Amino acid sequence: MKDMIIRGLQQAYENMVNMMAEFLPRLVVMLIIGLVGLLIAFALKYLLRAILQLTRLDRLSEESGASRILRHAALPSITELLSRSLFWLTWLAFILVGISVLRIAGLQEQISHLFQLLPQVLIAILILFVGLLAGNFFSRAALLTAVNAGYRSPQLWSGSIRFVIWILAISMALEQVGLARQTVITAFSIVFGALMLALAIAFGLGGQELARQTLDRYFGEKKNEREKEQEPSPL
Amino acid sequence: MAVISSTEDFLLADDFLRQLMSVGEVDLLVGIPSLNNATTISRAVEMIEQAFQESFPRDRVVILNVDDGSRDSTSEAFLSAMLSKNSNPWGLTSLRTIHRITTSCSNAPSQGGAFRTMLAAADLLRAKACAVISPVASNLTPACISALLYPAARENFDYVAPLYRRHRFDGLLARHLLYPMSRAIFGKGIRELHSEEFGFSCRLGSHCLNQNGWRDEAVQFSPETWMALGAISSDFRCCQTFLGQKTRPVTSSGTDIVAAVRGNVAALFSCIESQQVVWMERTGSEPVPTIGSDHDLTSEPVRVNRKRMLEMFRSGVSGLTTILETILEPGTHAEIQRIAAMDGRRVTFAAEVWVRTLYEFAAAYHHSVLNRDHLIQALVPLYRGRIYSFLLEHHDSSPEEIEADTETLCLEFEHRRPYLLEKWKARE
Repeated sequence: MKDMIIRGLQQAYENMVNMMAEFLPRLVVMLIIGLVGLLIAFALKYLLRAILQLTRLDRLSEESGASRILRHAALPSITELLSRSLFWLTWLAFILVGISVLRIAGLQEQISHLFQLLPQVLIAILILFVGLLAGNFFSRAALLTAVNAGYRSPQLWSGSIRFVIWILAISMALEQVGLARQTVITAFSIVFGALMLALAIAFGLGGQELARQTLDRYFGEKKNEREKEQEPSPL
Repeated sequence: MAVISSTEDFLLADDFLRQLMSVGEVDLLVGIPSLNNATTISRAVEMIEQAFQESFPRDRVVILNVDDGSRDSTSEAFLSAMLSKNSNPWGLTSLRTIHRITTSCSNAPSQGGAFRTMLAAADLLRAKACAVISPVASNLTPACISALLYPAARENFDYVAPLYRRHRFDGLLARHLLYPMSRAIFGKGIRELHSEEFGFSCRLGSHCLNQNGWRDEAVQFSPETWMALGAISSDFRCCQTFLGQKTRPVTSSGTDIVAAVRGNVAALFSCIESQQVVWMERTGSEPVPTIGSDHDLTSEPVRVNRKRMLEMFRSGVSGLTTILETILEPGTHAEIQRIAAMDGRRVTFAAEVWVRTLYEFAAAYHHSVLNRDHLIQALVPLYRGRIYSFLLEHHDSSPEEIEADTETLCLEFEHRRPYLLEKWKARE
């Protein structure tokens, strides 16, 4: 009994040592590949940045209005964005090659799936980017309109619009990459429907007076005389 | 259909062209843009015809109505207005036929489209002088119309701006922003940059017709401001002529202020940008020849809700903090926040802060730090703050004191002009 246990432990120890002996060199190779990839990615990043600065791409981007869009989305300049993208793509490719060296069962299949998903992922990123821009633009437009019209809680209007557009963009992006498709659609429908219902109930019941005032403002035939003389004529 | 402008496609309807051809060449053209003005347009036509008979009996004349899609038979009312048979002080009636033409906007209905149609018609008819008249101006007289046409027709002026007798608290956007800022930058001061009545020569009309900016939102919304700015920035001969009392607007809600700021300030900023080569070289300002009184303010009591203005200024400054941070320098932004936090009875939006704010807005517009329409909308709460401060300070001031205040503001704009240049060139 005792011998069997000792033999089992020895066997497990030997297996582990063998595995470590096989795995460690691969891990070292992966780390070396990752490190080399990092150096190459850095080199490519600086090289591309220098080339783009020579071509004055930023100036062109400024003139075409693309820089403005990037600034609105709190993103760096087009030169910086492209060089950073090249860095991450290069390093990611080296890391994936390094991971494949580890020969972990199932992981290689996942990596090949990841490469197949890449076009959908890129489209999803584009959808998110456009959603981000649209969310910022429309929420700012709503904020300005609400502030200048003297509505109460302008930040709430603005934030709600940004939230709805972002949720829409995120659900579309997830739909694009095929992640939990049914769940995403159902979740979005529930959240959106609930939000609209909540707003309608809140406006109709909680804000009866506000609802009346708003409807009067838009459809009332006779405006309050006091409102007519609110501000001096600008022109 | 005929393509009129070479820079951007612009079409005139065949029927309209036929009407123009039947008229032939003219000396004077008066345009009336309209939208559901059936009840008032007849009076405008009568006044114009009287002006022709009294002051221009030997000239070939035409009245042009460009309708923006009325549903109340405005065009029919225009054509059926009674022909006036009054003679001039010397007993003469017009020796020429007074033609009337009506058309609808050729492209999508808009103020810019209507105005462009008028310019195209004036160009085709080779009109020497033109005037645009509002169909709703109840104080319009034949003398007013003659006053707008005469300088362009007889004295070689290219742009004739109106001057009005106004209430001291009316036209505040013009007095606190459009007039002083355009005077400081372009070196010529026209008090009524935005006006529904004005005159111009064929030279200026053709110049505007051949410009590229017709699709700009600012031009579409406020083409008259754009033309006035084009005239002062491009060295056309400008003058101002006094027309008498301006009808007080019936209502001025918050939306009107936003629309007025969006249209007119956008036109001013757009012109500052497009004419930067011209104004950067200029210094000082020169007076524009004025026929009649230079300014005339009245001071009958009016009711103004200052409390609401202050509330909207404060809520704007707090609600738009992130946007204002992007546009303004930290010092200016902090100063505005300090003003907004003041006790309501002591709020003072000083001329120096106002000028600095506007120059920073203009530079931010030039550098496109934000969507341009959003940027101009962000100015509205600050304008309200400035006006609140003005109303507080000048509640009991005489017209002379208010005029002196306007002149002080103009000089402040001129004094700080180098600051605009500095900010303008900051990122170049």
